[in-house]
Amino acid sequence: MADILPTLTDDAVMDFIASGYIRLDGVISDAFNRKCTNVPPGPAKEFVGSPDFLREVLLHPTVAGAVRSLLGHNFLVPTGGHHHLFNAPYAGQDWHSDGISGAGYEIKELQCYYYPSAVGIEDGPTIILPGSHCRSVNRDAIAHYGDLLGQLALLVIPGSVVLTRYGIWHKAGPKFTSTPRSMIKFSYHRKSPPKRDWLIESETIPEYVDRPGYTYASGVESYRDLRRRIRTWNWLCGLTEAESMVFDRWRPSYETGVQPVEEITIH
Amino acid sequence: MKTSIQEWLKASREKLLTAALTGDDLDRLEELLADRPPTILYLTARSTNPRSGIVGWVVYDPLTPKEPMPLSSSSPYACVLDAVADGWQIVQYPIPKLYEYKDLENDYIGFDFILEKHI
Repeated sequence: MADILPTLTDDAVMDFIASGYIRLDGVISDAFNRKCTNVPPGPAKEFVGSPDFLREVLLHPTVAGAVRSLLGHNFLVPTGGHHHLFNAPYAGQDWHSDGISGAGYEIKELQCYYYPSAVGIEDGPTIILPGSHCRSVNRDAIAHYGDLLGQLALLVIPGSVVLTRYGIWHKAGPKFTSTPRSMIKFSYHRKSPPKRDWLIESETIPEYVDRPGYTYASGVESYRDLRRRIRTWNWLCGLTEAESMVFDRWRPSYETGVQPVEEITIH
Repeated sequence: MKTSIQEWLKASREKLLTAALTGDDLDRLEELLADRPPTILYLTARSTNPRSGIVGWVVYDPLTPKEPMPLSSSSPYACVLDAVADGWQIVQYPIPKLYEYKDLENDYIGFDFILEKHI
């Protein structure tokens, strides 16, 4: 088996740490997308575990390259999945997370959504809340939310794959049409310890560069998000806690006192 | 006072300037006085202050079947007090003690104000 080549840069990895998702638009071939037309809804172990699916989707260089970047080499490939198929008009799902939102800052699993067909705003698109993967919640206690500032409808072209941090808040959106809305969901897992071996320009580990806070987050929440993102970045780069503390990388550098008072001379 | 009855009174006063009330008008008033359950509005505010901005919103109408509703990108009210000014009554305020403070962990989004209105 040829080695899977990473495709993400430092910047793209930092984006993912903050948002919790990466979309790869139209990467799967039309020929394979058409083969998904007759896949029955529900558990799809046989289809997702088939050699065709493995070759065309799971190990597609663009998909697997992003997975390789985030989960390291020799990551674990899905052997099953679930086909979420909606045909009739439908009010949509409640907000929920599949995993345990906010559990740990490590990235050990990627949950992926593959759309063989286009999904428009009236077709019941998946709605995600970027950044929500860092929130520690009981999934049954977010079901009352309706519209949320910053929610994102995944409007996709055929053959698109969206990689998400397991635990990101999501739901099937309202469906007004009778056009089949198909999404096949599966997860990759980490096997190797974290290491900064994606696409890099220098061996020097850069400091995490924060992204703008989300519109639904208050100031203090955005600050907590920043601290958490730094932890995730340090962990992904393979820094131990001791190494992180040497550089005080748990906190943004502008907050760090680095000048001993006895060395200061006032002119 | 129920907003729909206020609207009926306003319309009836205007009507009385040019015509008389009819049996249909009184039938309509009787319908409005029937005990219709309230519509429920969740407004999720950025803080416990009812003047703070809204980050989440949803309406639950007990008499409307669950059916697809278009997504909305802006709140029907800029803040909770605007909703109160429009006739909504707050039936539950966010309770700060229920929002456990954790140094580094975010959890639920915003602070839920639950309001109701007889529409």
